[in-house]
Amino acid sequence: MAEITSPSVSIQNLSLNYGAVSVLQTLNLDIAEGEFIVLLGPSGCGKSTLLNCIAGLLDISKGRIFIKGKNVTWEEPKDRGIGMVFQSYALYPQMTVEKNLSFGLRVAGVPKDEIAKRIARAAEILQIEPLLQRKPSALSGGQRQRVAIGRALVRDVDVFLFDEPLSNLDAKLRSELRVEIKLLHRKLQNTMIYVTHDQIEAMTLADRIAVMKGGVIQQLDAPQTIYNRPVNRFVAGFLGSPAMNFIEGQLEAGNAATFTADGVSIPLDRYEFDNDPGGGGKPCVFGIRPEHIAFGDAAKAMPFTAESAVEIVEPMGSDTLVWTKLGGRNFSFRVEAEKTLRTGDPVRIGFDPARASLFETSSGNRM
Amino acid sequence: MSDHAVSLSAPSPSINADAWGPSGPKPRHVFSRRNIFLYGTLILVALYYLLPLYVMVVTSLKGMPEIRLGNIFSPPLEITFEPWVKAWSTACTGLNCDGLSRGFWNSVRITVPSVILSIAIASVNGYALANWRFKGADTFFIILIVGAFIPYQVMIYPIVIILREIGLYGSLSGLVIVHSIFGMPILTLLFRNYFTSMPEELFRAARVDGAGFWGIYLRIMLPMSLPIFVVAVILQVTGIWNDFLFGVVYTRPDTYPMTVQLNNIVNSVQGVKEYNVNMAATILTGLVPLVIYFISGRLFVRGIAAGAVKG
Repeated sequence: MAEITSPSVSIQNLSLNYGAVSVLQTLNLDIAEGEFIVLLGPSGCGKSTLLNCIAGLLDISKGRIFIKGKNVTWEEPKDRGIGMVFQSYALYPQMTVEKNLSFGLRVAGVPKDEIAKRIARAAEILQIEPLLQRKPSALSGGQRQRVAIGRALVRDVDVFLFDEPLSNLDAKLRSELRVEIKLLHRKLQNTMIYVTHDQIEAMTLADRIAVMKGGVIQQLDAPQTIYNRPVNRFVAGFLGSPAMNFIEGQLEAGNAATFTADGVSIPLDRYEFDNDPGGGGKPCVFGIRPEHIAFGDAAKAMPFTAESAVEIVEPMGSDTLVWTKLGGRNFSFRVEAEKTLRTGDPVRIGFDPARASLFETSSGNRM
Repeated sequence: MSDHAVSLSAPSPSINADAWGPSGPKPRHVFSRRNIFLYGTLILVALYYLLPLYVMVVTSLKGMPEIRLGNIFSPPLEITFEPWVKAWSTACTGLNCDGLSRGFWNSVRITVPSVILSIAIASVNGYALANWRFKGADTFFIILIVGAFIPYQVMIYPIVIILREIGLYGSLSGLVIVHSIFGMPILTLLFRNYFTSMPEELFRAARVDGAGFWGIYLRIMLPMSLPIFVVAVILQVTGIWNDFLFGVVYTRPDTYPMTVQLNNIVNSVQGVKEYNVNMAATILTGLVPLVIYFISGRLFVRGIAAGAVKG
């Protein structure tokens, strides 16, 4: 990850309250030049609110926002050097695509030939040249979103803000445009801040993901780190589909730390504790992702193995999710689609606790 | 047909023929009890509403001798347009004997500026209330709405005094101001609701694009709000054109609007009651709102629906 020397966007101690309701709480975030940051979280976590604060569309209660080293806390949106793409596209319905693209420039009084040049460039990058004379109502969803991106592009800004830009599109278009946005970022090398609740978008696009909940950034890290070493149970459960398996139990300290629950005992000697687990008997939650579980013969080589019976089989095309019970809890694991398992079949599963995550029950934090 | 398609439509052996049941569109009977009841009611109600209009038109085309025969529903034996001409140009109201034409032009001079002024102000009000949530916006809005429920009678005399003090009493411009102010609550509500129903992100996009208060209003919002403007125009034209109370209180005989003149013609106590002239005068007075409805009926319905749903 790029070291943060002079951040492109810097948010310092930002708070936002609506009356007594606190939406964002003393939030700090530094975003490096050219970085692609994804704000990820469930609805109502404040991610869109944070984006609107950066855009200047919402007045903040406390703190400061810097863009390109300039304090823009009290600046109007147009003076912040940002371009924004909205979920509903927000194209001006009565204007043609060309007028939509040029609106901001015309408002700013940019000379005509300069406007034409910038529109030509944006239209070429986004391949919307044939659409320039059409009205938004005559465009498909994907084309509309492309125009919306173009509107941010022509403004020649330092920072792009995306507010769930792909949520209104169908699954196929979404994955196409996802790739296009990634290519666009590579081409432009602009700082981009991208809000989404879709973890696939977050994983595929981001240099770093900020997982948010309740107006607080839970974890800010590279996608792989967040995926493999979630800092708390919320992050662990939010990322990953199918979701991580959780087993509640307790930590037995001693020479070799062990996790025990309902007839299961998992050795933790290979698990990397973030900090000293302390005394024994501490209630905690053991989490492991379905794709990290081996099955059948492969399971025998694993440090931990268990026998169980298949309860439900969910074929998903590329692979199959199998549900069973472990430690008294529902437990799922992935197998190749070719494996045919039926309800009631005995299975042997195994995994390497080094790939697991252990959380304190009380705080939910990673141990 | 391919075999596949045939096999889809062929009966499955396990289902016997009786289970075949209905297929395709449900048959509809033109003279079903439901249709007779529905259309019967509609026709009846329509007749009920159209009958007075019919009587008015028929009577206005008759001469006085024919009217005295008393068959108000019978069509005219001899069609005459004299009552219409008389109502328009020679009927006497008070000292003036130039018919309704004077009142018509007075009404035009009252209605046009009032409609333009009230809609211009109310649309900006509504836009500001919907999109620029300034401090105290809600309080301001509530006060404005409460204004819609205060009976006019309470305010008539205070307004007389105010107009007298600023020297506009009896003038057309005084009445224009009064109409504009009284149209404000309901029009502001209408526009606010319409602008609230527009996507918030559009407004935000325009702000990011650098448009200000007036830029967004004129270049984004205005071109999108034709339906609600049509509704406002219809409401205001009919309301102001049909107004009698303010017209009679705040103007002088010279500047009486059409409705007041109509009243003076119809309610004159001297001489013969010229029913045909009265009918013609009444239709003439009602013609303007009627024409407006016919021109913009469809837009009206669309705009009302758009503005009314969200509160």
